[in-house]
Amino acid sequence: MTSTRSASLFALALLAPAILYILAIVAYPLFDTVVLSFTNAALRPAYDFVGWANYERIFGAGNFTEVIIRTFVWTFASVSLKMIIGMFGAVLLNASIPGQTLFRILTMPPWIVPMAIGIFMWGWMYNGQFGMLSGLLQNFGLIAGPFPFLAYGSSAFWATVVTDVWIGVPMVTIYFLASMQSIPKDLHEAAWTDGAGRLYRFRRITLPLMVPAIMTMSLLSLIATFNSFDIIWILTQGGPSNQTTTMIIDTYKTAIGSYRYGEGAARAVVICIFVSIFCIVYFRAVRKLSQGEVK
Amino acid sequence: MKSKSKILLASLVVLSGSTSLATVAYADPISFILCGDEVFPTQQQAMDDWAAANPDYPVEVQLVGWAQCQDRATQLAIAGDPVGLAYVGSRTVKQYAINDLIVPIPMSEEEQASYHNYVPETVTFEGQQWGVPVAFSTKALYWNKDLFEAAGLDPEVPPTTWEEKIAFAKQITENTDSAGYGVVAKTMDNTMHQFLHWVYSNNGQVIDAEGNIVLNSPENLEALTALKDIVPYGEEGPTAYEQNEVRAIWLDGGVAMIEAMASAGNLAGEAGMNWGVAPLPQGPSAEGPGTLLITDSLVVFKGTGYEDKAIEFAKFITKPEYQWSYEQENGLTPLRPSEEVAQFVAENPEWAPLIDGIEFGGPEPLFNDYIGLQNVMIEMVQSVVTGQAEPAAALEKAAAELEQYK
Repeated sequence: MTSTRSASLFALALLAPAILYILAIVAYPLFDTVVLSFTNAALRPAYDFVGWANYERIFGAGNFTEVIIRTFVWTFASVSLKMIIGMFGAVLLNASIPGQTLFRILTMPPWIVPMAIGIFMWGWMYNGQFGMLSGLLQNFGLIAGPFPFLAYGSSAFWATVVTDVWIGVPMVTIYFLASMQSIPKDLHEAAWTDGAGRLYRFRRITLPLMVPAIMTMSLLSLIATFNSFDIIWILTQGGPSNQTTTMIIDTYKTAIGSYRYGEGAARAVVICIFVSIFCIVYFRAVRKLSQGEVK
Repeated sequence: MKSKSKILLASLVVLSGSTSLATVAYADPISFILCGDEVFPTQQQAMDDWAAANPDYPVEVQLVGWAQCQDRATQLAIAGDPVGLAYVGSRTVKQYAINDLIVPIPMSEEEQASYHNYVPETVTFEGQQWGVPVAFSTKALYWNKDLFEAAGLDPEVPPTTWEEKIAFAKQITENTDSAGYGVVAKTMDNTMHQFLHWVYSNNGQVIDAEGNIVLNSPENLEALTALKDIVPYGEEGPTAYEQNEVRAIWLDGGVAMIEAMASAGNLAGEAGMNWGVAPLPQGPSAEGPGTLLITDSLVVFKGTGYEDKAIEFAKFITKPEYQWSYEQENGLTPLRPSEEVAQFVAENPEWAPLIDGIEFGGPEPLFNDYIGLQNVMIEMVQSVVTGQAEPAAALEKAAAELEQYK
């Protein structure tokens, strides 16, 4: 009994630094943000508690619902495209073709290039006057004159999605490739012997065995994409006419741009709730996967 | 062991004594947040002169990049660890003042009179000055003479009225491959600035001296309507471009006319463009040439314990002899009229339009929440430029929204 207790204490002592670290950098800031969300904290150092006023204000404003919907559409579009293109890329990279290693290396640049530089590069490509995309479309006769992709709500929205997909696809591809390569070869060989074609084998062997990887990557990507800030901020700052303003941009503009920390904290709490839901789904999925419930 | 302890104790006493002595000999340095990545020679000279005259109050400069500069000073002040003084956009002084973050910087009548028209007003709130102006910019119309000629216009004659500006832009758009006028409408502060060019060249205001929102005035309706009318003759998709991007298009020959500050002329010269500069064309209600007057200021934060000395330093570093030299180093519009300035303008006539507009110009409006103002104005301009709203409705909506930020 004594030895069990001392072993527990020893384990706790070993865990203590990590626990303290988590408390300091996660739990305390989170708690402080929740507290702040019930205040009118702004530029003035002193502030008062205002109850639910910040939440009433943001949900009563009308456009916050639009921002939430836009965030979900942006996230869903981006994650879906990343998964589809990532899977397609993994299949190609898994194929026995000459130069396979080179192609695998060439997949990496979007991930290796510092994100801000990559985004600025896309910003120039989207430029109507000097940008490559507008120039190519004009050369092919598809558009009559310069087309600035970031000028219009719809094109700016999709331009930011495309940039996010470009940055996110390499990680998905490599993850899927690793998962694909862990599938025992004899399954494919047996199916091939029985006359199964490539598509049939992919649909009936590869895809089902990759479900855990697809689920994990989808949920992790969902969380990261939902909170994606840099891409939209650098390309459009949420414009034009707020058509690319997502929840994280909206929160930044309120809390940091306008120094309305209390209201910004309330918006951050709403984001936190959504992300927590994603996390719960993720952990439940992981638990089910580890118990072998998903086949 | 005992002797070791004694030696250690003695060492600590000596160390603490020397630290105390140092504290007595030197007061806390005046911390100074300067935006950018270098201290200009004139600023360094001024600081050296200050140090020589005030050895007990050395200045400690913290250089912070432009993008983070103002936020850095603000965050430190809110956190209760303010810097002595900082370089900020004057538009924010009211917000700082009402939040009790900065101290007033009284200016004598003589000091106020030494500046150009309206410059002291850019830092004045409730009858007090809250900053010392340190940088000034005004805007003028820059045009590409070759494009004017190609469109069949007289290359030496710029538009002087809005009617001419729109007509010239139309003629250029229809007769050349370039657009007539550079419209700035991206989600950036200079979208509001360009709209204010129209406002101040038509005798308009956003908020009057009594604090009433007058954005929806007839003068401003004329301004927003004129902006809407010129959009078809601007570059495609103006909501994608901010001021410097429009200037790049102009330098590339993509548009014929832009509204910009002095640096546009320097860049056009380097690009080999045949260019001209004129006062901003005037609207139907104008009483004279107007422009937007933007100043940056040095503000003194509250709570350092050496506010008076920081105010003294702020005034010292912006003394006319340093200021004029600093303005020449940076290509800035002079804050103060003087014989040297008059001589400089006579020798460099391209500067005259940038000075002429000051008389009927106006400042960036001072609001309690400057970013709130900016967001409302940008949204208003974008809604009209993209055809989502009519000018009258957009002005009414924006005027109503501004009430919460004034």
